[in-house]
Amino acid sequence: MDPLLQAWSYFRRRKFQLCSEVCSRILEETPCDQAAWSLKTRALTEMVYVDEIDVDQEGIAEMILDDNAIAQVARPGTSLKLPGTGQVGGPSPAVRPITQSGRPLTGFLRPSTQSGRPGTMEQAIRTPRTAHTARPITSASGRFVRLGTASMLTNPEGPFINLSRLNLAKYAKKPNLAKTLFEYIFHHENDVKNALDLAALATEYAQFKDWWWKVQLGKCYYRLGLYREAEKQFKSALCNQDMVDTFLYLAKVYTRLDQPITALNLFKQGLDRFPGEVNLLCGIARIQEEMNMTTATEYYKDVLKQDNTHMEALACIGSNHFYSDQPEIALRFYRRLLQMGVYNCQLFNNLGICCFYAQQYDMTLSSFERALSLAENDEETADVWYNLGHVAMGIGDVNLAYQCFKLTLANNNDYAEAYNNLAVLEMHKNNIEQARALLQTASSLAPHMYEPHYNFAALSNKVGDLQSSYIAAKKSEAAFPSHADTRQLIQQLKQHFAML
Amino acid sequence: MPEVKSMFREVLPKQGQLCVEDTPTMVLCKPKLLPLKSVTLEKLEKMQREAQETIRQQELAKKDQEQQRMQP
Repeated sequence: MDPLLQAWSYFRRRKFQLCSEVCSRILEETPCDQAAWSLKTRALTEMVYVDEIDVDQEGIAEMILDDNAIAQVARPGTSLKLPGTGQVGGPSPAVRPITQSGRPLTGFLRPSTQSGRPGTMEQAIRTPRTAHTARPITSASGRFVRLGTASMLTNPEGPFINLSRLNLAKYAKKPNLAKTLFEYIFHHENDVKNALDLAALATEYAQFKDWWWKVQLGKCYYRLGLYREAEKQFKSALCNQDMVDTFLYLAKVYTRLDQPITALNLFKQGLDRFPGEVNLLCGIARIQEEMNMTTATEYYKDVLKQDNTHMEALACIGSNHFYSDQPEIALRFYRRLLQMGVYNCQLFNNLGICCFYAQQYDMTLSSFERALSLAENDEETADVWYNLGHVAMGIGDVNLAYQCFKLTLANNNDYAEAYNNLAVLEMHKNNIEQARALLQTASSLAPHMYEPHYNFAALSNKVGDLQSSYIAAKKSEAAFPSHADTRQLIQQLKQHFAML
Repeated sequence: MPEVKSMFREVLPKQGQLCVEDTPTMVLCKPKLLPLKSVTLEKLEKMQREAQETIRQQELAKKDQEQQRMQP
């Protein structure tokens, strides 16, 4: 068989390693074979390709030293940084756990939702130590650089293309080669500056008429943190050609610039051009969910009307139903996911909790068993044990619950919720000192949760330490302003202080 | 069980003072539904794991070579 045809066949069957090896052999014989060269760049790119639309990781520096934001103190409902301001009817933290940034826990995890934006420098620095994934100092030192260096290390005879010796102007004039070369530089080498040079030369050669190059320029500017330039390129690309991708990239720029309303408007423009487009609908839903709007579910339902196997929509609607006290309906969504072939620890854990709260006790424990056996790391195991602890509490087996929470902590020592629940159990046994220590650990690990603060306040109030009770109650009020018990406690304490 | 019914009659006070005591209890953290991971995230994590693994193996190989050089 012709080796090039064989390489093509490997490429089409997504056997990229084999494809690249065959291409290397062809290139050894005929070093100037452009077809083989181009195919090899494509194979190498595909090996490390991730969808650029989904990828978004903010480093600490970008978050704290953010000079792109238009208003430092944004009006309520216009910023992603102040979740829940102005919106009424979002889920209350009494029912739905919140993340560090004060958002309700989402049903679906994407690279950009991984840990949200911490509010203060202190929180930002602490996050990497307690969260499961370390946040890079800047996005330039993030995952991509690490992946890039790793991909170079795997090649014993050095990189395939030596970028510093490449005459970019020559390649920019060959549109067929330039596109694959660009993707190789951008995705495989992660050398954004060279990629930008190539894209600039190529778009000039195409007389600024090729939308593809403009989008690539925008991608490079985005990676370099030049958001306004990126915006210009994407807008210009949209003038040449309407593409769903371009709308999504542009919306990503607006999200980064903290202009959710502009992004929403853009998505609606996109929907005028592409009615019922799933990705655009999903984009609207994501932004609305991040801003704590209740209408997010409506958009997720619209997504499901177009594509009834959309994982993100199913998971988000499911978790929304669970936290609005309808575990039976949530169970149906998660069962649907199971039917679709999702088979992992998270799904079985969710099925287990939903079954328990929907009173289908026969399935509960077997789901949790399956979840435990599918857990890939200690953090996942800890999550499952934590939820099992709740099941044990539900059936009144306090000893089992105690052991479950202990196991949670054995697997993940930073699990603030488990510390808090253990403290409550210790209080039931009247071990006040232990409960106090556990609550202090919990509140220092997760200052954004109101439960440990409130419990600490209640406990201190009980033993007569009114001053610490008041301080903790104030923290609890800051975390969850409309919590009735906290308010009552503060009022009571104020009366006490007034009497003194 | 009609006999039991006649034995116990419910008492619903209709007059006099009604006292409801509301004792605040400690709050438990809520059960957590785990978010599912997107395909991109899973791929990124897989790639990162593999990259770390190859780097680790290369370092091990390097160490072995150095040790072999030291021995003779």
